[in-house]
Amino acid sequence: MTIILQTVIDAVSLGSIYALTALGIGLIFGILRLINFAHGDFITIGAYALIVPSAAVVATPSLGAWPVYLMIPAVVVVVIIVALATERVAFRPLRGANMASLLVGSFAVSYILQHLILLIYSGRPKAVDVGMNLAESINFAGLRVPAIELVAIATALVLLVGLALFLRKTTYGIQMRAASEDFQMARFLGVRANIVIALAFAISGLLAAVVSLLLITQSGVLSVQMGLGVVMVAFVATVIGGMGSLVGAVVGGFVVGCASGILQVVLPDDLKQMREAFVFGVVILILLVRPQGLVVTRAAQERV
Amino acid sequence: MTQHADPVLAATAPAGVASERLEVSDAAVKFEGLAAIDGVSFALQRGDIFGLIGPNGAGKTTLVNVVSGFQHPSRGKVLLDGRDITSWSAHRRGTHGLVRTFQAVRLFRAMTVLENLEVAAVGAGLGRRAAERRAYEILEWMGDAHRALDRADALPYGDERRVGIGRALAMAPRYLLLDEPAAGLGDAECDQLMQLMARVPQDFRCGVLLIEHNMRLIMGVCHRIHVIDSGRTIAEGSPSQIRNDPAVIRAYLGSKSERRRARN
Amino acid sequence: MRVPEGSIERGLRRVWPLVSLSVILTAVVLLSDVLGEPLLKRTIAEALIKLIAVVGIYIFMGNSGVLAFSNATFMMIAAYASAWMTLLPSLKRFSMPGLPGFLIAAHLAPLPALLLAALLTTLVAFLIGAAILRLSGIAASIASFAVLAIGYTVYDNWESVTMGTSSVIGLPMYVNTHVALAWAIVSMGIALLYQVSRLGLALRASREDEAAARAYGVNVYYQRIVAFTLGAFVLGIGGVLQGHFLGILTVEAFYLQLTFITIAMLVVGGQASLTGAVVGVFVVSLVTEVFRQLEKGVQLGDLTAQVPLGAEEVILGIIMLLILIYRPQGLMRGREIPWPFGKSVAATLPTLTRRVAP
Repeated sequence: MTIILQTVIDAVSLGSIYALTALGIGLIFGILRLINFAHGDFITIGAYALIVPSAAVVATPSLGAWPVYLMIPAVVVVVIIVALATERVAFRPLRGANMASLLVGSFAVSYILQHLILLIYSGRPKAVDVGMNLAESINFAGLRVPAIELVAIATALVLLVGLALFLRKTTYGIQMRAASEDFQMARFLGVRANIVIALAFAISGLLAAVVSLLLITQSGVLSVQMGLGVVMVAFVATVIGGMGSLVGAVVGGFVVGCASGILQVVLPDDLKQMREAFVFGVVILILLVRPQGLVVTRAAQERV
Repeated sequence: MTQHADPVLAATAPAGVASERLEVSDAAVKFEGLAAIDGVSFALQRGDIFGLIGPNGAGKTTLVNVVSGFQHPSRGKVLLDGRDITSWSAHRRGTHGLVRTFQAVRLFRAMTVLENLEVAAVGAGLGRRAAERRAYEILEWMGDAHRALDRADALPYGDERRVGIGRALAMAPRYLLLDEPAAGLGDAECDQLMQLMARVPQDFRCGVLLIEHNMRLIMGVCHRIHVIDSGRTIAEGSPSQIRNDPAVIRAYLGSKSERRRARN
Repeated sequence: MRVPEGSIERGLRRVWPLVSLSVILTAVVLLSDVLGEPLLKRTIAEALIKLIAVVGIYIFMGNSGVLAFSNATFMMIAAYASAWMTLLPSLKRFSMPGLPGFLIAAHLAPLPALLLAALLTTLVAFLIGAAILRLSGIAASIASFAVLAIGYTVYDNWESVTMGTSSVIGLPMYVNTHVALAWAIVSMGIALLYQVSRLGLALRASREDEAAARAYGVNVYYQRIVAFTLGAFVLGIGGVLQGHFLGILTVEAFYLQLTFITIAMLVVGGQASLTGAVVGVFVVSLVTEVFRQLEKGVQLGDLTAQVPLGAEEVILGIIMLLILIYRPQGLMRGREIPWPFGKSVAATLPTLTRRVAP
């Protein structure tokens, strides 16, 4: 029984991270029809912001040395700045291009960012102790659960609720949803494209920063491709969830997280390494059965 | 282009045989509670020109989408020569001779005019060379052969619409659905179009369903007219019958009292 | 049999891109033979192998307008398959014990191994394509990304069959500039024959306007599968040649780096034409070569100008972005090398209709 509960918590915690990432990607996709491959690099940059640029294997913390209540906002600010800069420099000129160009462009941006990180920090994975000691387990109700997992779930809940409120109750949130449904129409009605898009990137940056902190606390290791793993899963989660739907992205993230968590327990030992491959495989299966995704929005359908 | 030995271009059976019709039976489409069309039925015979009119938003394009396979109906059937094709995909309908045009024409922009028609001819089952020949013949028939090698996105508006019709004809249609072909055309161009369309049923041995707002065109070529408003049929008959039908007048011009008010 | 007038010229016009590009590439290879510089020959061979890969991507992406990320996976499957069939049995017994008996014992000549490997990858591509190409453009692209990830994870971990993260060595190195050139011409031939066929035409129509294509008889799903599978065959050839050129195989070599470079080459050159693919390979290879030299350091009088390691990739990425912003159709803008012998309009029209009054 305890094993089941622990697995559930593992799965939900993993699902939270995927859901937050999928949401970041879904937000931008909804408005710009752009799959932001660079989102993974936002995550990576958030983590690398914690250390001083160098090639050393044991990194000297820069922001990482600050007290928690300063460090977290600092990382968030850094990533938001990077996200906004990317939008301004790379994605704004691409606006209005066709989907294939947007996709390739976003791939190029991700490539550039990754190699910039490589240039500055070198490719060696680095160890970082963020000093929160949250990787340790908490005992409660007979379960041993790493504290960070509970933090992840709680954070995800808070952010999801906060974002939902923002999108429903605030002017800017409503404008974002309108732009997501019908960009042209929203502009006709006076929604300022640049502001809405910048907001989307800023929130996306916030989500990326949070995910990067959660990841770094869990693993303690920095690598250039650390964002990549999460993001690839998140893309796929967005597709399962139904492109163009934020709720779908979140649902997709949790579905994938749960699948992953279950597989972790169910798969025989020698296949555990290939858990990711199985997850992707399950994902493709879901897509075959339901190509439009789990949550379908009208935005995803073409009008003839 | 009159007699044709080309079996693909013309019909394989003489038009007018009883089972040869395109029939829509009690079609309905509901979007989130709103009925775009609600129980529309009609039949198009091969060789006929059948008009479909109605005020804006009446559901005409939705109906075309249902017949051509771009919209799945919530209710009702589409029958092609007696076969139930309601579940068929759009391309399958096309290859069986049920061809439509688009309100926005939607030519293949980076291709030449000739290639645009070739695609349709290939869709009708021809090999590349035969398709090219057919495409060119159709352009000649329409009088547009001089545009064959022009890029589709470089065409003036009127020519673009004609090429759109040519492309549909290149598919050897048995039933041709024209979605507002005269939109935006001036009187002279509209007359040209009328002349073209009058020849289509014989030369191509097909039935034509014409959706239009342009009354000049509708009254000029249609044998029968079907009127819908707010997704429902309100009248069907010959042009002169429709012209005098009170329900039709009301739908377009408002009730008598509204017209009186508007006059004063 | 009477040949309709002008039809020979029409036929030549159709295959002109293939002829002209093949002539140019052959000239380049012959020149490198004359110069005899081994480094130059290596670079050219590498570029030709990349060209084959890019042509493989072009067959699908250029004609359908759908971006697929699974290209490197198909190259990888063929490369390892060819390795399985050409490595010494004694080597395989030791380092790939998980292989089935007949594969361990297999010791084929290069050509049959290449063809079988390419066929294997084609079969896999067909199955994958049939599965994911039902999805809309973007979803299919992402699903293909998942395929890339799956391929990488599986091959990276399946040590008994692929040696996992270790390099596979000992592949017979039979690939030189001539072999690469021959297969490059074959690949371009396949691409050209496809693009002038009715299948290619139908798929290109779906690229222009998918709904309209459906309305005019194009079975978009089927056409995409055809192009995807055909492209995979060519990608398979490229993968096999890559392995036998280097003599070494690693799973990492068939992952994101390769995916990015090959897509970049196609995008830079222009994804809608075969000439675009060739131009893209040439330009990107040139730029990367220049930066490789700069990274080693260049003598400017007393100073050594040196560019930091890794700058090359950043610059390449920036170039690609700039092309996408300012010249989204690529350098060739979707056009092939023009037919140089005058624009005789009559020669391009069907010759059956002679009674045309212009």
